[in-house]
Amino acid sequence: MGFYSYLVVSTILFVLGVIGVLARKNIIAILLSLELILNAAALNFVTYTRFVNNNIDGHVFALFIIIVAAAEAAVGLAIVLRFFQIRETIHVDDATQLQG
Amino acid sequence: MFDKILFISSALATIVGAVLTISVKNIMHAAVFLLLSLLGVAGLYLTLGADFVAVIQLVVYVGGVVVLMVFAVMLTAGSSGQKANRFGLVKIPTMGNFRTYTIGIVFAALVLMTIIKLYTNVFAMSRLAQIPAYSPTVSKIGISLVGTHVLAFEISSVLLLGALVGAAIVSRPRRENR
Amino acid sequence: MNQTVASYLLQYEPVQQLLAFLSKLLGFNAISLLYFLIFALAILAAVGFLSLVGGLGTYAERKISADMQARIGPNRVGPYGILQFLADGVKMLLKEDIVPTQSDKFLFYVAPMLCIVGVFGTIAVVPFSSGFTIFDFNVGLVYLIGISSLVGLGVFLGGYGSNSKWSMLGGMRGASQIISYEIPVVLSALSIVLLSGGLSFSSLVKAQGGWPHQWFIFHNPFTFVGFFILFIGSLAETNRAPFDLPEAESELVSGYHTEFSGMRFGFFALAEYIEVFVVCGLAAALFLGGYNVPMNLGGDGLIGQVLQLGSFISKTLFLYYMVIVTRWTLPRLRVDQLMTMCWKYLIPISMVNLIMVGLWMVAFDGKSIFDLIFSGASVATGTGH
Repeated sequence: MGFYSYLVVSTILFVLGVIGVLARKNIIAILLSLELILNAAALNFVTYTRFVNNNIDGHVFALFIIIVAAAEAAVGLAIVLRFFQIRETIHVDDATQLQG
Repeated sequence: MFDKILFISSALATIVGAVLTISVKNIMHAAVFLLLSLLGVAGLYLTLGADFVAVIQLVVYVGGVVVLMVFAVMLTAGSSGQKANRFGLVKIPTMGNFRTYTIGIVFAALVLMTIIKLYTNVFAMSRLAQIPAYSPTVSKIGISLVGTHVLAFEISSVLLLGALVGAAIVSRPRRENR
Repeated sequence: MNQTVASYLLQYEPVQQLLAFLSKLLGFNAISLLYFLIFALAILAAVGFLSLVGGLGTYAERKISADMQARIGPNRVGPYGILQFLADGVKMLLKEDIVPTQSDKFLFYVAPMLCIVGVFGTIAVVPFSSGFTIFDFNVGLVYLIGISSLVGLGVFLGGYGSNSKWSMLGGMRGASQIISYEIPVVLSALSIVLLSGGLSFSSLVKAQGGWPHQWFIFHNPFTFVGFFILFIGSLAETNRAPFDLPEAESELVSGYHTEFSGMRFGFFALAEYIEVFVVCGLAAALFLGGYNVPMNLGGDGLIGQVLQLGSFISKTLFLYYMVIVTRWTLPRLRVDQLMTMCWKYLIPISMVNLIMVGLWMVAFDGKSIFDLIFSGASVATGTGH
């Protein structure tokens, strides 16, 4: 329905993801908002493929974004689980061992 | 006309899901709204003619990442958030309060202004005069993945192997001899 | 591009006259509206048919298990008890909808919906016949796998949202079972994709023939093993015995759907029986020749479509019967035996299958073992060319 509408959707998704990453204090909630940011970027790539140059590399890059996001979610959640096993909490403010 | 209906419903699902993901207090509900948002993005891919990317999004995100998040929420007892943290025994909810959201919105406004400034160059760029008809993309993506982008493809397979093995080892329960 | 049931029906004269009539009536070209109406009717027909199959599946299960256990089974409601599933349905609709106060109400509402959406979403690509596939999506196989993973999420959220220990255990076991057994199922399906060269169900089915020696199950020994891996993995995907630990009656009260009553439980049960039909249809389409009729009787006209529909449904119902017989024959697996079987046995075997099918295609140019024997025999006896 037009190039601009897709760009607006992906921008709104990105901005909402940024708000989520900065505002939440639960580590898993931060990872959920990070997925929104990655999806906004992949949506942008696919939009440009359709409306600008019809080069299949846009779809290929969106696939790689999906792959990397899945790998990063897995490793990030493994780290969260380890953190929970040690500290018994998933509040970000309790991750202070490297502080000052 | 049905194109427009599909676009509007997918975009609505995406944005409503995203807003609810970043604002609900219960993290399990936030994971379900992320699922709604990702389904909306898959619908948007379909309206853009990216059929293979849409179904891969469905398989990987819906069947993989969201299930992973839900398992992690359950294993860390994150839903109740009733444990004491270093600020004392007061049950401070871990999902953010008014101050954090204000900071988040201020920084997001900065990011939005940067993006809009970038878009002035984008809008000056030339676009395709004729939007191509929908065509299957699977064979083109396949040829590209084993032709032009074979290095990235192989490296991503090593990356996934590393993520698999690493996640399993990092989150393994340890013996109590720390 | 993608053939749909609407584009198939538009070949016929009465449908084109209907289109012209509607266009004249409404003033604009009514093709989208006609497509929408045909899709709505086809989806209603498919949903109705599958719900009937789901209901009759419960009846068939009780009758077949009774037959195997030397008893009679339901025989009071209607002739031979065949209306028993209607009585069960009425009972479930009329039951009080109990929502426990300590449960998570949002998840209580959402979990059965996810199961039903995950199952009914797959019927859009199931290849009933060459003309009556609702939407022959060119990546239909991946779409089917993606949509049916919503069921795993629904099982887990149902168990978690009930806030009771039996449900939680059942939900965790169910979800881990479903996501683990997706891997051998997908790897076996991928070996078939290698042989046929496409991800759409029509290309997967058209690469096979009508006669049994042209089916993919007898193509080479690796696809033969792959069929059984797909079948076992599908049994585990749908929580059917011997993998029904998440809902075992003697172990966990009722597992993840303990706390659900009335129509919510009906959704879970209906989703399970329809999902068994859909995965049996998947196995029939991938390995048993799908809707192909021997000698392609009837061609592509309406008679041929009906014959193809009959062929597909009979193969699927045969596999459904095998699923029911398996349930009442084998004992239940323990959860660690279940996970061991998946990760230590089925996944390595299916990976080796995939590689060997690829090597077979390179070595023998994609010919099946029967083609090799027949061409070898004809060369040996001197009648080959």
